Amino acid sequence: MSQYSGNIDDFGMDTISLAGPLEAKLQAVRDAGFSQIMLAARDLVGHPDGLEAAVAAVRASGLRVTGFQVLRDFEGLSGHLHDYKVDIAKSMLEMCHLLGCRLLLICSSTSVHATGETQALVRDLRKLAMLAIPMNIRIAYEALSWGRTINEFPQAWDIISQADMPNLGLGFDSFHMFATNTPLDEIELLDPEKIFLVQLADFMWTEIKSVEERIATARHFRVFPGEGVHSEALAALVTRLHNLGYRGDYSFEVFNDDYQQLPLPTVAQRAWRSALWLGEDVLRRSVPLPNQIRLKRRMGG
Amino acid sequence: MNTYSQPPLADRESIADAVNPLGLEGIEFIEYRTTRPQALGQVLEMMGFRPVARHRSREVLLYRQGAINVIVNAHSPVLPGGAASDEKPEIAALALRVRDAAAAYRRALDRGAWAVPSRVEVMELNIPAIHGVGTSRIYFVDRHDKFSIYDVDFVPIPGVDPQPPAIAGLHFFGVVQYIGNDRTGDWTEFYSELFGFSELPAEQRFGILPKGRILRSPCPPASRFYIQLIEPEAGVLDVEDDEALQRIGLGTVDVLSTVAALGKRGVGFVESRGVHTGDRGALTKAWLGGVSFELVHDQHR
Repeated sequence: MSQYSGNIDDFGMDTISLAGPLEAKLQAVRDAGFSQIMLAARDLVGHPDGLEAAVAAVRASGLRVTGFQVLRDFEGLSGHLHDYKVDIAKSMLEMCHLLGCRLLLICSSTSVHATGETQALVRDLRKLAMLAIPMNIRIAYEALSWGRTINEFPQAWDIISQADMPNLGLGFDSFHMFATNTPLDEIELLDPEKIFLVQLADFMWTEIKSVEERIATARHFRVFPGEGVHSEALAALVTRLHNLGYRGDYSFEVFNDDYQQLPLPTVAQRAWRSALWLGEDVLRRSVPLPNQIRLKRRMGG
Repeated sequence: MNTYSQPPLADRESIADAVNPLGLEGIEFIEYRTTRPQALGQVLEMMGFRPVARHRSREVLLYRQGAINVIVNAHSPVLPGGAASDEKPEIAALALRVRDAAAAYRRALDRGAWAVPSRVEVMELNIPAIHGVGTSRIYFVDRHDKFSIYDVDFVPIPGVDPQPPAIAGLHFFGVVQYIGNDRTGDWTEFYSELFGFSELPAEQRFGILPKGRILRSPCPPASRFYIQLIEPEAGVLDVEDDEALQRIGLGTVDVLSTVAALGKRGVGFVESRGVHTGDRGALTKAWLGGVSFELVHDQHR
């Protein structure tokens, strides 16, 4: 046990909150007390010594990889655009597999070339999930709030339910839910076993007036949970997810230009305070479980 | 919605049984990859197989008994770093007989299978393949009626009966696949979506090792075979996740006389607390670090 306390192993940081090289990010996240990290493809391919060196650095860090992001604008395309995106998806899956990561995040399409026809979206997501099966990777499908057809999580959930693949589930991002003012009660629709990832972020203003402002806020002005003006809503959301039965990971999806120019330990400390707030104050966990080991869930249980 | 109570279709007609999208008609061959081809050959001969043909240019032998073809591929690829792949022979491929190999291959790719680039330097059988579990492949073969695929790349071994009879009517019954924790749903989806397999009810089991889930191929009864998916024992620590084709199941109408016939040839069978030779089946001892064969009582041929 380190100097840190708290049973918050299911909270993790995302490399997108941090500046600098991959190794420095891994070190800062680990030093802050986290046990997992969400990685982006560019963390690997942008490594000066190449992909293999990046994967080795991740493995050496001892951090668990929460998930790998992000496949964009995949579903609803046809012809050569579809073939092209399938190739991209395969490369993403291969990198994810190299990392030993079990989760690939895909955002709902923003492409004007994509159809919104449900059957096509379902078929494409089934295909993506099938590609992921031999590699033992799960696909988390997230409704981007500026997605062209799918932009709220209940719509994403509907597509996921129709696709009905065991390794296809929901990637849930609190930012997009707040941005579109999707009612919290909609969460009751969800099967907690099919929520594959929850990403959390706060932001500093109460209202977002346009799609442009939504995109700008999402990409530059997010803060850690508890740092913005949506703390109460975040607390309610996390509590609701917990009561629903969600026991998966929470990842801080915090894009913030200011954090990109702060020392890494400073940012990681802010994330850590956020995790403590959620774990101890919101979910009211007390002490870490000693010698916790994970047992296999019984089949059919 | 219709509120009249109608009997479910399955009570009246087994429509689902007729679905065979690829025109699947059994297993053409199973391929082992090994660095010890002679030792594996001895095991196969003990099991009643005879070497009948030799590859024209590679160290690849075709063994046969009755309608069972087994290929032993001694052309093990060298891993990065120069070390040979490990000593234990692996089931490297499963070749499926289909109506139209090219169409079956395209259909599989459309639904999210991974193509195996044809590597003529390894097998020179230029037949389409997709990736299966672990490092294994699944071939599609459609030339099993008029002339055989072996005519192309193999040379018969002189003075050997090219059609050696099977011991006690042995035939392919199925393949046992070991899978990771919580992977039964994924692999069931893989085989049903790509090949039209269907899940057997839990009470329908064959042989003496009933664990896991059994998938039935959509082949006509005479060529029907099964894939059995087995997860790690419940309660063991969540160890990652070796997945592979583990053993071949051979069908026989009379298990005990087959055991006796094979026993005379030197084949030993497992007798342990959980596994006994009986009317329903038997399990050979493992050779070469893990090669074993399961006998299963099977009336249908």
